[in-house]
Amino acid sequence: MIVTERKPFDKIVSVSRWLIFGVVALVINLPILSTVMTSFKKTGDINTSPPVFLFEPTLKHYAEVLGSGRTDFPSYILNSLVIGTGGSLIAILVSFPAAYAIVRHGVGRSWLLPLVTNIRTLPLIIYAIPIYLMYQLVGLLDSWTGMILISATISIPVALVFFVGFMQDLPLDLDEAGKLDGASQSDILWKIIFPLSRPILVAVLFLSFITSWNEFLFGLILTTKVAVPVTVGATFFVTSYGIKWGATAAAMTLGILPPLVLGMFAYPYIGKSMLSGAVKG
Amino acid sequence: MSSQIKNCYRGRAVRPLKPQDWCDRLMNLREQERKSARIFLVGMCAFLALILGFPTIANIWFSFNDVTFHNLTGEGYSGLANYREALSNPKLWEALGYSLKFGVICTVFEVGFALLLVFILHPLLLRRPWLTAIIMMPMMVSPALMGVMYRLVLNEFVGIVPGYLDMIGVTMNFLSLKHIQFTVIAIEVLQWTPFAFLILLTARQSLPYDLEEAAAVDGATGMRLNIMVVLPLITPAIIIVSFIRFIDSFRVFDHIFVLTGGGPGNSTTSLSIYIYKLFFKQNDLGPAVALSMTLLIASLALLYFGLKLAVRRNDR
Amino acid sequence: MKLIKSTALMASAITISASMAFAEITILAWPGGEPEESLRQIVKSYNETAGAEIGSTAELLYFSRDNFFDKMLADSAAGSKEFDIMLTATYNVGKYAPFMEPINDLIDDDLMSVFPQSAIDSQSFEGNFYGIPTDLGVHFLYYRTDLMDELMSNADWQAKYAAISMEYMGTAMQPKAPDDWTWDDYMASALFFTKSINSDSPVRYGTVLQLKNLLFNVMIWQGIAASYGGDWMDSDGNITVDSAGYRRALELYKKLVELEATPADSLSYEYAEANGAFGTGRVAFYTQWSAAYASLVNADEFPAIAGKFDITHQPAGSVGIKTHFHALGLGINAASENKDEARAFLRYLGTENAMKMYIKGGGQPPVVGRIVSEVAADRPDMVMMSSHAGDYGKVMAGGTSSSALDIYTNQAENFTGYWGGQLDIDTAIANVEEFMANEFAN
Repeated sequence: MIVTERKPFDKIVSVSRWLIFGVVALVINLPILSTVMTSFKKTGDINTSPPVFLFEPTLKHYAEVLGSGRTDFPSYILNSLVIGTGGSLIAILVSFPAAYAIVRHGVGRSWLLPLVTNIRTLPLIIYAIPIYLMYQLVGLLDSWTGMILISATISIPVALVFFVGFMQDLPLDLDEAGKLDGASQSDILWKIIFPLSRPILVAVLFLSFITSWNEFLFGLILTTKVAVPVTVGATFFVTSYGIKWGATAAAMTLGILPPLVLGMFAYPYIGKSMLSGAVKG
Repeated sequence: MSSQIKNCYRGRAVRPLKPQDWCDRLMNLREQERKSARIFLVGMCAFLALILGFPTIANIWFSFNDVTFHNLTGEGYSGLANYREALSNPKLWEALGYSLKFGVICTVFEVGFALLLVFILHPLLLRRPWLTAIIMMPMMVSPALMGVMYRLVLNEFVGIVPGYLDMIGVTMNFLSLKHIQFTVIAIEVLQWTPFAFLILLTARQSLPYDLEEAAAVDGATGMRLNIMVVLPLITPAIIIVSFIRFIDSFRVFDHIFVLTGGGPGNSTTSLSIYIYKLFFKQNDLGPAVALSMTLLIASLALLYFGLKLAVRRNDR
Repeated sequence: MKLIKSTALMASAITISASMAFAEITILAWPGGEPEESLRQIVKSYNETAGAEIGSTAELLYFSRDNFFDKMLADSAAGSKEFDIMLTATYNVGKYAPFMEPINDLIDDDLMSVFPQSAIDSQSFEGNFYGIPTDLGVHFLYYRTDLMDELMSNADWQAKYAAISMEYMGTAMQPKAPDDWTWDDYMASALFFTKSINSDSPVRYGTVLQLKNLLFNVMIWQGIAASYGGDWMDSDGNITVDSAGYRRALELYKKLVELEATPADSLSYEYAEANGAFGTGRVAFYTQWSAAYASLVNADEFPAIAGKFDITHQPAGSVGIKTHFHALGLGINAASENKDEARAFLRYLGTENAMKMYIKGGGQPPVVGRIVSEVAADRPDMVMMSSHAGDYGKVMAGGTSSSALDIYTNQAENFTGYWGGQLDIDTAIANVEEFMANEFAN
């Protein structure tokens, strides 16, 4: 252990670290904080400039947003929930076995993995048009099914990379032990590896869900009223209410709550998985 | 190897095989496993073929035809006309240039800030890891909603930022032509620096402690440790993060669309916004689709060559 | 046996009631403010009365303002059945007509007793009538009465006013009442009330312009060009955007932007932000859609200007006072499967009763003079609106053609590009003329 002599200097350094942390945390989270605060202010308070800090809170805006009559905000939340969950599950279901095949048997490593990661590099708008037209032909426009499929597509690259990284770290002995007992490939995958993958599955589930929830472009183009997700629904408030910042702020607070909460649990995995998956994959 | 022997000996007396036969048997086994493993890819391939395969084919077809909103099944074969029209429009190249510039600038700032923050905050976060969660918050928010939030926060009359800047005597109009580029870039940087920070922090934290001890013995502590020891070791992570962030910033759409709609005029029209406008604001869908096809081919080509380069480097 | 009989009875009862099931229709309407509120009330009352009679319920659907027309076009072109009734507007009836069902059959004496012929024409294209008119859109000059009164009575202010106008406009001007303004008075007053030019100004900005790249902002500005004689085409069909009138109008805005008499963020402003600027008391006056009146008058939401503002017509140009105007309406989606129910709703909407309810709630339909005078006490802005539309309303030649929407969009892109400093005036005008020539040639 290195013994440091200059204690007062350390104290200053430590304090300044805290200070920098505080400033950074404040600056990057300013819009979130301001929006949440605005959602509780009375309209008169919101419309005053310069803005007030001490104010009497009100729940009026939340009542306005959640009470049906204006827009169907609760249904937007439901849509985002369904789309996010459905998309994540499908992405996991499809990527998990594929990752196993890639890692353990080298099948598809040379073409599938790069192809899938390529999806992530494309500006997705270039698919927006044909998917719009395709959905129109088969009647999937503005439907849960249609949006779930898109959400799964967007989540697959991330899921695959994470799973590949994870499985590469798993010792081969597991597979061998399974084969000893006469297990088939499928058994090895689902009965041995799957239960061990709980942490990574949770991480992928959370991350895919957050990504789906935050998707805007496809939600904008492919939905009209039935399957409108929260991200698009919240923008209705901005322009349709024009001056009503209060309701807008309430809508947005609700719109960012689920991913924020989930993110608090999932973020430790993101760093590790992304790093190992990307480096080795 | 021992497991193969175990398998063979199980229950019966067998003569041990020559090494050559072992190799063959191993190969056969692996071949069989490979074949059956291909099934595992079916789900993924089928799904992608369905969702992305058909649109790609449709894209190809539409790009060679005269398609309008009034006649979605095409009015006739038009050959390369769509491609010519799409690629000869100077606005396309402006948008492309804009996206490239935006991507590079944002990436440089994001990775730069992230690196700096990792150096400064690492000891703090080592002791109190939960603090990282607070820094992660912005990246959990939808970029579109983030754009709307900034619209409120930067509003000259009811926004909190101009309000307080006013009190210290600074008037800065964030959405004016002078500052709009700065604003749009700043929003992206502020939201995604945490992502770069997270990856680089993880890389930093995965460095073994013995390293720091050894370096300290040589007199490298604090900033010197960071620059001379840590930095070279986390360089792979820096490259990866830069790559990922560049791609994401290049594709930017959400927060710019919500904040400026691509304006004033066309000054913040990124490539994605340009394609959106081309599709939705004009009757002629052909050029929009032709452009999409071109981009697809371009990015596939780029990745293909990029991979080849990477593989070649690895082989050396 | 008894069981079978009762089951059969129940089954038939269920089948009969099932065939009388509610047909639900969806109405895609224009979002925002009081007109939205009052349309809801009409829908509610319809569901309880006429709708209930035929077993149909109506519900409302809104898109965001920014890309409303893009989405409506994409969806109706795709044959979407998600909405049965959709928005019409004078400037895009031509474009959407292929996707809408004509409602000529709804024109009867009852309808004509509520709406003047001009209102019906504003929703017609090539001889077919497509939408029941719901909102007339004209532009008012909204101004602070306290500031104007002070200006008219304070000698020091008037001296400064003359000095500033001399310095920036080349002639010393005297303040006039807003009713008598020309666009020069508008400019002079804007400069006077801008704090960075006149440190004595009690407000920060003289005016607030809406310069976001949006077609509606061109419509607001267009009145200026028209008041100086500008038009899209002359009687021979030549495109006349490159004219003195247009240039004068473009340069007026440009000068205001350069002299910072409007917030620098104006380049991203549209309806909401401009109302916010005026409503928080930081701006002396501005031109805005007539729809804003009903919102601004709400003292709870805008305490800063409560009781301190009024409306009048836009300032005059060399040719007089002109304002762009158009009417919004609701029509039937050609792909709808519930056309009968949709017709029933529209018939209900076009009755005097429903229109009066709509007016009371804050809507501003282009109804006949008789109805306007009946509601004059509650809605003074309606009186002004109707008279303005009649006296000063100008529809650009070709402004109701099928290319109108696209032309406005192109103008918005080029003109806001000019005001924002991306293009020079000649390039902007040339681009617009080229685009219009292409459109009208097709």
